[in-house]
Amino acid sequence: MILVDDDLDDCELFLTFFANRKDIYVLPPLLNGIELIDYLEKIKSADDLPNLIILDQNMPKMNGKQTLAFLKSKKRYAKISAVVYSTYTDSALITDCTQLGADMVATKPIDNEGYQKMMDDFMEIVKKRES
Amino acid sequence: MKNVSLTDLTSEVDRLRAELAEANDTLEAIRTGQVDALIVNGESGRSVFTLKSADRAYRLFIEQMTEGAVTLNKEGLIIYSNSQFARLVHRPLPKITGNYFTNFILEEDIPLFKEFVSKGWTTNVKCDLRLKAMNKTVDVQMSFNILEMDDDVSLSVIVTDLTKQKEIERELKAKNHQLGKLNDALLASNHDLQQFASVASHDLQEPLRKIQVFTKFLQDEGLRELSATAKIYVDKIFKASQRMKVLIVDILTYSKLSAEDIPIETIDIKDVVNEILEDFDRRIEEKNATVNVSDLCAVQGNRGQLRQVFHNLISNALKFVSPERSPVINIGLKKFDPIELDVNVREPSQYCLIAVSDNGIGFEEGYASSIFSLFETLNPKTEYEGSGIGLSIAKKIIDKHHGFIVAKSKVGEGSEFNVILPLKQPL
Repeated sequence: MILVDDDLDDCELFLTFFANRKDIYVLPPLLNGIELIDYLEKIKSADDLPNLIILDQNMPKMNGKQTLAFLKSKKRYAKISAVVYSTYTDSALITDCTQLGADMVATKPIDNEGYQKMMDDFMEIVKKRES
Repeated sequence: MKNVSLTDLTSEVDRLRAELAEANDTLEAIRTGQVDALIVNGESGRSVFTLKSADRAYRLFIEQMTEGAVTLNKEGLIIYSNSQFARLVHRPLPKITGNYFTNFILEEDIPLFKEFVSKGWTTNVKCDLRLKAMNKTVDVQMSFNILEMDDDVSLSVIVTDLTKQKEIERELKAKNHQLGKLNDALLASNHDLQQFASVASHDLQEPLRKIQVFTKFLQDEGLRELSATAKIYVDKIFKASQRMKVLIVDILTYSKLSAEDIPIETIDIKDVVNEILEDFDRRIEEKNATVNVSDLCAVQGNRGQLRQVFHNLISNALKFVSPERSPVINIGLKKFDPIELDVNVREPSQYCLIAVSDNGIGFEEGYASSIFSLFETLNPKTEYEGSGIGLSIAKKIIDKHHGFIVAKSKVGEGSEFNVILPLKQPL
């Protein structure tokens, strides 16, 4: 899976909390949607694409929603599970992202328990899509 | 001396006879009231002679009119004018009668005037144009009517002064323009405010969450290295950050209520209340509370917002519980008595009153209206958590639904919140 978030603290937290989980492999985080697209475009074989893309909403250049819209408009990326996570999730963000095809809209947790629970939900989504 | 033949004399006599007959006819006509004005071509130009005849009362009436009244003959000469018209053009009356009407009309408007005069001779017409009055112009409306009196036909022109009206129109336009500008400014400022609240709350939440995350780290992992007092400080930081989180979320909710386009549907309040009670399941159990819900009404409104109202009220009822007894919350319909509640409505039958009452700590009735103000909390923060926005949000939502909320309470006995909602929302 790959995390796209411009907040370095959050990237670090993400990696710290999941360092011990054996069921996932987290790619080095990217800072915004543009970087993600560059990264994905360089992958030659569709088999090497990540299974899950986690997008922060508040990012410079290309925010979570915009990145999501781009991914879902491309046949090559539309089938990858994509979730948006943000410090603050209001009903407008949830509605917008769901309409754009997000598999989930999550609120950034504040402790280990919250992070593990969020990841369990993410894994559920990936499994559902693969089966 | 010229020689005059008999035939010449005879024809001269015939001509004079004819003239006499004509003069006699005219006299007769004047005497019988068929003619009331004469235009005589004299050496000093045309003069008009008018009569005091039987229609004097009518004339007086015309004189008293606030409108200018003028009659024209076929050539466009003024054969009669009332003094109001003279005042309009700032000329003495004698300078008006016998003159061409066009002399009193602003040059640019003469073609228009001529067009309407020619129409006026066949049908009644009206037009707006400008008169010359010494060195200024006067906006007027002219109404042309054919006046047929016996054999004589003239054109009557009623001249209405539009100066005041135009002034009012101009003023109205200016005021409207001003109002439009103010409205734009207000809209912009409202938008800015909403934008500000939204951005501020979003952006405030990011650092706040960091505080929470790292305080948690301190609590969980740095625990061993911390002294007992340090642990208390860390706890205080975490509590304060949690409180701030509630504040920010509530401010955001409150600011969003200003948005105008909220969908309206018919909502059974009982469904809404039952949904909320499900959410509060754990808290109800924790507090060992009893919640009784009787039949409630269906009203038109926004589901999410009305849900918020009852959520906040029930949440308060579960929050301000008395330490002496287990909480009992009753939610039911009550008869709506506008006078008792001091609420001014025309048709009480078009409203329903839902009472949410508890047996909690209550508050002094003197605070019954101030509790709906932003950030107003009556209780010490240490005992009862809250942002002080919950009831403001409830009130703002109810206001937007054209309803009322009235609080009643007795210290130590409990509180009752009466939510009065119209059954139907205006279209």
